[in-house]
Amino acid sequence: MSTTTASSLERELAAITGEAYVTHENRDINGVVPAMAVSPGSAEEVAAILKLANDRGLVVAPAGGFTQQQMGGIPERVDILLQTHRMDRIINYDPGDLTVMLEAGITFARAQAKLAEHQQWIPCDAPNLHAATIGGLLATGASGPLKSSYGNLREYCIGVHFVTAEGRIAKGGGRVVKNVAGYDLMKLMAGSFGSLAVITQANFKLFPRPGQTCTFACSFPTLDEALAFRDRILNSPLAPICMEILSPRAPEYLCDPPPAHDPDEYAPVRRIAPPATAWQIVLRAAGSDNVLARYRRELGSAVTQEIEGQAPSEEQFWRWISHFSGSVLSRHRNALIVHTHLTIQNVKPALQALERCAPDYNFLPAAVGRAATGNLVLAFVPLAVDPPAAMQYAQCVSAFRALLPPGSSAVVAQCPKEAKVYFDVWGGSATDIEMMRRVKRSLDPNNILNRGRFLV
Amino acid sequence: MDRPEELMLYEYDAGVDKGHPGAVVFPQNTEQVSRVMRLASEHKIPVVPRGAGTGLSGGAIARQESIVLAFARMNKILEIDVANQRAVVQPGVVNLELSNATAQYGYYYAPDPSSQKACTIGGNVAENSGGPHTLALGVTVNHVTGLRIVLPDGKIVELGGKAQDSCGLDLTGFFVGSEGTLAVTTEIIVKLTKLPEAVATLLAIFNTVEDAANTVVAITQSGITPAAVEMLDGWMLRTVEAAVHAGYPLDAAAVLLIELEGMKEAVEEQAAAVEEVCLRQKGREVRRAKNEQERQLLWLGRKTAFGAVGRISSSYYTQDGVIPRTKIPATLAEIERISKAYDVIIGNVFHAGDGNLHPLIIFDIRDPKQVQNSRKASKEIMQYVLSMGGSITGEHGVGMEKMSLMPAMFTEDDLDVMLKLRNTFNPDSILNPQKMLPETRPCREITGPLPKAKVEPVAGVPA
Repeated sequence: MSTTTASSLERELAAITGEAYVTHENRDINGVVPAMAVSPGSAEEVAAILKLANDRGLVVAPAGGFTQQQMGGIPERVDILLQTHRMDRIINYDPGDLTVMLEAGITFARAQAKLAEHQQWIPCDAPNLHAATIGGLLATGASGPLKSSYGNLREYCIGVHFVTAEGRIAKGGGRVVKNVAGYDLMKLMAGSFGSLAVITQANFKLFPRPGQTCTFACSFPTLDEALAFRDRILNSPLAPICMEILSPRAPEYLCDPPPAHDPDEYAPVRRIAPPATAWQIVLRAAGSDNVLARYRRELGSAVTQEIEGQAPSEEQFWRWISHFSGSVLSRHRNALIVHTHLTIQNVKPALQALERCAPDYNFLPAAVGRAATGNLVLAFVPLAVDPPAAMQYAQCVSAFRALLPPGSSAVVAQCPKEAKVYFDVWGGSATDIEMMRRVKRSLDPNNILNRGRFLV
Repeated sequence: MDRPEELMLYEYDAGVDKGHPGAVVFPQNTEQVSRVMRLASEHKIPVVPRGAGTGLSGGAIARQESIVLAFARMNKILEIDVANQRAVVQPGVVNLELSNATAQYGYYYAPDPSSQKACTIGGNVAENSGGPHTLALGVTVNHVTGLRIVLPDGKIVELGGKAQDSCGLDLTGFFVGSEGTLAVTTEIIVKLTKLPEAVATLLAIFNTVEDAANTVVAITQSGITPAAVEMLDGWMLRTVEAAVHAGYPLDAAAVLLIELEGMKEAVEEQAAAVEEVCLRQKGREVRRAKNEQERQLLWLGRKTAFGAVGRISSSYYTQDGVIPRTKIPATLAEIERISKAYDVIIGNVFHAGDGNLHPLIIFDIRDPKQVQNSRKASKEIMQYVLSMGGSITGEHGVGMEKMSLMPAMFTEDDLDVMLKLRNTFNPDSILNPQKMLPETRPCREITGPLPKAKVEPVAGVPA
């Protein structure tokens, strides 16, 4: 864009939102700095901005809390960063009905705090919830350990309002907990990474917040034994709300980072028990004293550590698990983070593939993840001495993907942008990609939304 | 199949609409479905997929001279993968048969529409079916992880698989509930759910409908999520009792059928808590099924409610509105008022925990005045439901029946986006034409060539 058109665009955007809301942001997306940023205050303003962009073929990147903007491919350019933070109202919260209607730009933490007043919650424990917005979390399909039992936002999003790339304001679903009128556009928007439309509002079914929880960590000398234990739990009457698997190196990152030095020079001050060969299955149970006593009985001697319910240490422990990738990146800014989608039984080959591939390409492996749903967070930590070159990231990812059984997918959530030019961060999908392209073309025919960043 | 007397059997579903098929085809595998679709596409003949025909909104009924693609022969359970908690099934598999087949491993298929003895998984996928136990466990879309579909042009496509999810757009979730308007499903991967260790089934008895309705709200607020909360009003339970002798109290104004599932410790505590809530909300009595036989009997009453109504009246119409749960007391009062105003009997048997109402409007089809009044009553109930922020359908689908109500819930832009998406997959609308999305609206730039079938005015339906 030349400077003249840039300033005329600025004026046109200012005419939509007011001058104060058209700015220049320094924050980059994989090294690409958006030409300008605009913060609309309503769906109508979003529509006007998108209409303008669509007519001119300007590339738009929707942005919430900017917590996951580095995911995806390197954009060829970003003309407009469309920030949703001004649309941050709780439109309706009916505690008696256990439903809530939220504008997309509200931070998750603020919404959750309101719901907590009535011992209710949206059972999502994705990372960075103080900054992340509800629209961003829905668009990126973000989740944490609670996905084991509650699924992710997709499962309980009951309505969605959005603006299509052509500037059309539309919605799907509604505010009731059961509804089959029309197509399920909530499913289409969830996990679409802003590639189809800009989400402006989302409605959720809520859940009662568990009154009491307790965490049981169980240690095993081998991966096989850990997974056999997982299968035993899956087939038992126990129904833990979280069931995580921790690789031997994971506990190193489940604690506060040491005082900041040069992140490339990091070395742990001390090893954290248990020793670095043990695999762990960590369960979080919710219920009364009787229910928790039953867990103790059934788990028996498998439990190596119990973190008592309601103790701040329990909340903290699960926050560390949610923030695992952030915790790795704060120590090793060039780490490679992979998110997997696997069947229950393919958790094993995926973790074996991690342990096998990482050393071959000068990485150390560490992993946490949902052992019962196949959503793992894998960290490839670059060696301090002789770190991998950009090309080795690409080779490592393709070697890793090649070891996964068919039907699995592995998305590179984080890696140095220099490496991204050598491979596709999204990889394959179990779903036909041509079908996805058709949907993309029908809602964003000029490909103005997040061009080059998503799978389609 | 093309003999007229045979085709007649495929004119109906469990609702009130009718349509005469041109031919009925019984494919045996995906390849055959693909060939039928290719042929139909070339000749622009409409195709309507059909499971067991238990639908209530006309989704599986032919528009004139369509090919009905009946899945009676594609009824195999292809795989039960216990270690991954999945089953792979053909669309013609009967819902309950899947649960029966997996019970030996300690698992079942959770969505349980009242017609589960007859309805097929393929039909459930098309309609995103619910059922009493979806309160805690979710509806069909929460239990489907993969689909094999055939597009109108015959192309075979895989969406998702056995994993919980995949990267990219969630087209599996989008296709579930699309009422056969995007593609034909020929294989389905579903989640299997662990059979609960303990179940408690309670029957709470109330002297007024209002008390029962308030109890539903109180249970929702108490922090307990029962597996099911069903309500039957006095008229319904007397009708049911006359048919199946489920042991319901004949003098009650309403009963709640509440089920709790899970670990036995949790179930015991929750059952006690629910009982306390019921009594606090002026429940007259709370009974608990002492054994599986008593439990089945209580559920038999609920699951055969529509059949019981069929014994006393040949014509009834089931509505399927959803309201926010806090509005149940007010809505039931409004239904009572409407029933009196139009002098029609309206029975209520519904998924109270979800706010999913099923008012049953009873009328004599031979009496034009009653037919007219029942239509008016139905329309007024729906208007009230919408004014409460509700939905026109919670689980039966839009189909033919509620197409005309879509604009009351969605704006023209909402519907345009949906139409655009439909045209993306089903551009000539040969697949299940004139269902779900009204096309008689002033259309904008889109809509493919009109399909061959012409719109038939639908007889006997309360509009």
